[in-house]
Amino acid sequence: MSNSVFSVISRFVEEYRSSTPNKLKVIDAYLLYILLTGVFQFLYCVLVGTFPFNSFLSGFIACVGSFILAVCLRIQINPQNKRDFLTVSPERAFADFLFAHTVLHLVVVNFVG
Amino acid sequence: MAHLCLFSLLVLSMVLETQALTPTHHLTTTDVARLQAVLSQPFTDLKSAYYSVVGLSKLGILVADADETCQFIKSNLDPSSVESLFYAAEASQALSGCEIPVSNDTRDLLLATVSEDSTASQIHQSVSALSSLGLPLASQEVVSALKARISKEDNVLTIILALQTASRLSQQAELGDILEEIEDLAARLDDLSGVYLQFEEGLETTALFVSAAYALSDHVDMEPPLKEDQVIQLVNSIFSKKSWDSLSEAFSVASAAESLSNNRFHVPVIVSAQGPAAISHSQPFLRLQVTDVLCQPLSSASVLVESASTSSSKSAILSQAPFTLRDEVFELNFMASQPASGYYQFSVAIAGDSRFVANHVELKVKVSTRVAINNMDLSVVDKDQSTGPKTTRVEYPTKAKAPFMADSHQNFAMAFQLVDETTGVELTPHQTFVRLHNQKTGQEVVFVAEPDSKNLYKFELDTTERKTEFDSISGTYALYLMMGDATLENPILWNVADVVLKFLDEEAPSTIQAKTLYTPKPEIQHLFREPEKKPPTVVSNAFTALVLSPFLLLLILWVKLGANISNFTLSPSTFLFHIGHAAMLGLMYVYWTHLNMFQTMKYLAIIGSLTFLAGNRMLAQKAVKRLEGK
Repeated sequence: MSNSVFSVISRFVEEYRSSTPNKLKVIDAYLLYILLTGVFQFLYCVLVGTFPFNSFLSGFIACVGSFILAVCLRIQINPQNKRDFLTVSPERAFADFLFAHTVLHLVVVNFVG
Repeated sequence: MAHLCLFSLLVLSMVLETQALTPTHHLTTTDVARLQAVLSQPFTDLKSAYYSVVGLSKLGILVADADETCQFIKSNLDPSSVESLFYAAEASQALSGCEIPVSNDTRDLLLATVSEDSTASQIHQSVSALSSLGLPLASQEVVSALKARISKEDNVLTIILALQTASRLSQQAELGDILEEIEDLAARLDDLSGVYLQFEEGLETTALFVSAAYALSDHVDMEPPLKEDQVIQLVNSIFSKKSWDSLSEAFSVASAAESLSNNRFHVPVIVSAQGPAAISHSQPFLRLQVTDVLCQPLSSASVLVESASTSSSKSAILSQAPFTLRDEVFELNFMASQPASGYYQFSVAIAGDSRFVANHVELKVKVSTRVAINNMDLSVVDKDQSTGPKTTRVEYPTKAKAPFMADSHQNFAMAFQLVDETTGVELTPHQTFVRLHNQKTGQEVVFVAEPDSKNLYKFELDTTERKTEFDSISGTYALYLMMGDATLENPILWNVADVVLKFLDEEAPSTIQAKTLYTPKPEIQHLFREPEKKPPTVVSNAFTALVLSPFLLLLILWVKLGANISNFTLSPSTFLFHIGHAAMLGLMYVYWTHLNMFQTMKYLAIIGSLTFLAGNRMLAQKAVKRLEGK
C-alpha cells in the first residue's frame, strides 16, 4: 500500500520536474512561500492567542488573497490553457495580477491597524 | 285635572333641581369699613371731594363737617368749567343745606354743552349739574345728542355715561333706544369660568355699568335684561377686590353696592354663617347672617330650611323649619332635632321679597359631639388558653394601678366601646390609635384599634408576632389611647396602663440608625478597561521571524530555478514601471504608519497612473518581443 503511494508521489515529482516550464515553477515557488507564511500566522494564533484579532485577519487574508491571485496568474499564463484564454495574453494576465494586488494591499493595510 | 297636577309637579321639581349661582365674593363688614375709610380720606381738590361726599352718601353715611365741606366746595368751584360745576353740584346735593349760587352764564354754559359736538362725558356732567342745581333742561335734545354720540363713539364708557345721563332726564322723554343699550352692553361682558362677569376695561367700568343700568331701569320702571346668574356673576366681579387703587374705583364700588341693595328689581342676598357652621351641645344654635351686598341685614326676610340631610344618606332630618330672627341674626336650634354627629347638607331658602336674587343657598353644617369611653377592659391572655384571661377594667381618665406583664406565651388584649356622651350612640371616630412608648429608649410603636361588627373596639398585641416592630427590645412600655375625629369636641390622649413586654432572642439594642439617606455615599472607583494581556515580547519576536522566514526560502528557490533577470530590457518605461511599483509598495507602508485612506488614494492615483502607463508600455514591448520570437 505505502509502496504504491510512494511510487505515485515520486512519479508525480518526476513529471513535475520535467514537464513544467520554468515560469510556472517560479510561480509555484511563490505559491509555496505564500502558503508557508499563512500557515505560520495561523500557528501563532492557535498557540499564543488571537490578540490583536484584526491584525491576524488582515495578514491571513493577505496570504489567502495573494495565493488566489497567483493561482489565477498561473492558470492564465500556462500555455496548455491557451485555448481557454484567447483574449487574455500573458502580459494582460500579469497586469491584472498587479492591479488586483494593489487593491488587496490597500484593503489589507487599512485593516491591519 | 290629575294630569295637570302631575305635570306642574314635574316642572316644579325640575326647576328646584337647577342649581342657581350663589355669590362667592362679597363685602364683609370689615371690607365695608375699609371702603368707608378710603372714601373718608381728607380731600385735596373738588374732584376728590365729589368722590368722597357722594361715595359716602351712597354708603348711607353723612359727612362729618357738612358746613366746612360746603365752604370748600364753594371756594374751589370754577364756574367756567363744566366739570367743576358737575362735581360741585353733585357734592352739594349730597350735603344737606348746601346751595351753590348759579348765575345765568353758568346756566347758559351748561345748556350749550348739551350738543352732539360735546363728548359723552361732558353731556353727562352738564345734564347732571343742571338736574342737581334744579335748572330746567330739554330732555329730548339731550336724548338726540346722546344717540348721536353713541353712534359716533361705540365704546363701553360712552354708553355707560349715556345710561347715567338718561336716568336724570324726564320720564316723558323717548328713552327706549337708550334703554336697549343695556342689553347690548350686557352682551359685551366677558364670562370668566362661569364665576365672574366683567368688562375687559376693568372693575371700575363694570361697577359703573351696574349702577347706571339700575339707575336707568328704576327711572323708567322696567326690569333690566340681566338674568339672575348674571347679576350674581357681576357681584362676584365687583366685590372680589377688597382694596382699591384709586378714589374713583372706591367710588364706583360704593355706587354699585348701593344700587344693588336699593333698586326695584334685583337684590342679591348674601348668606353667611356666623363663625364656623358647627353645632354641638354647648352651642346648639345655627346662626346665619342674611344681608344685602352692603352688609346691611335684611330684617324683612324669612329664612327657612327646606331640607337638612346627612351627607351620606339622603334622608331628610329637617324639612321646612323656619329660622327665628334675633338681634339681626337668624338662628335655628338644630340640636333639638337630635342629630347624630357628622356632616349635614342644608338647603336654605330666603323669602320675603320678590326682588331677592340667589336666595337658595346650600350649606354644609357640622354637628360635633363629645365622646365617652366605656368598658375599657385590659387583659393578659395565655396563648394556649390554659388559664382564663385576667381582665382589669380601667375608668377614664385614671391609669391602671398595676403594670401588665406579657411575654412570648401571652397576648395582651384591650377592648372598649366609644359612645356619644349625651345620646349613648356608638361612635366610630376616624382615628383610634394605640401607642406604646418605651420611656428608656424613647421608641414608640403605634397600632390601630379596629371596631368589630358590633362597634366594639378590640386591640390585641401578640409579642412574638410584633417582635420586629419593637426591635425585640423588652421593657416597660406606657400604653396610650389616642382618639380623634373632625366631629369630636374632645380628642383623647389617655395613658391607660403600663405594659411590660418580654421578647425572646433579645439582641443588644441597636442604636437607632440615623437616617443615612442624605449623607455622602461611598465613592465609586471607575475601573478603566484593562488592556488585554499581551504575550511576552520574546514570543512575538520569535514568531515574527518565523513568519518572515519563508521569504528567504522563496529567494533560494528562485535562484535555484534560475529565474532570470537577464531579460531586463533597459528602456525608460521598464525603469519607470519598476520604480512606480516600488513606490506603490512604499506608499502602502507609509499608509500603514502615517496616512489615512483619502491621502493614500490621492497618492495612489498619481503613482498608480504613472505605473500603469509605464507598465502598459513595457508589457506591450514584451508581448511584441514574444510574438517576434515565436
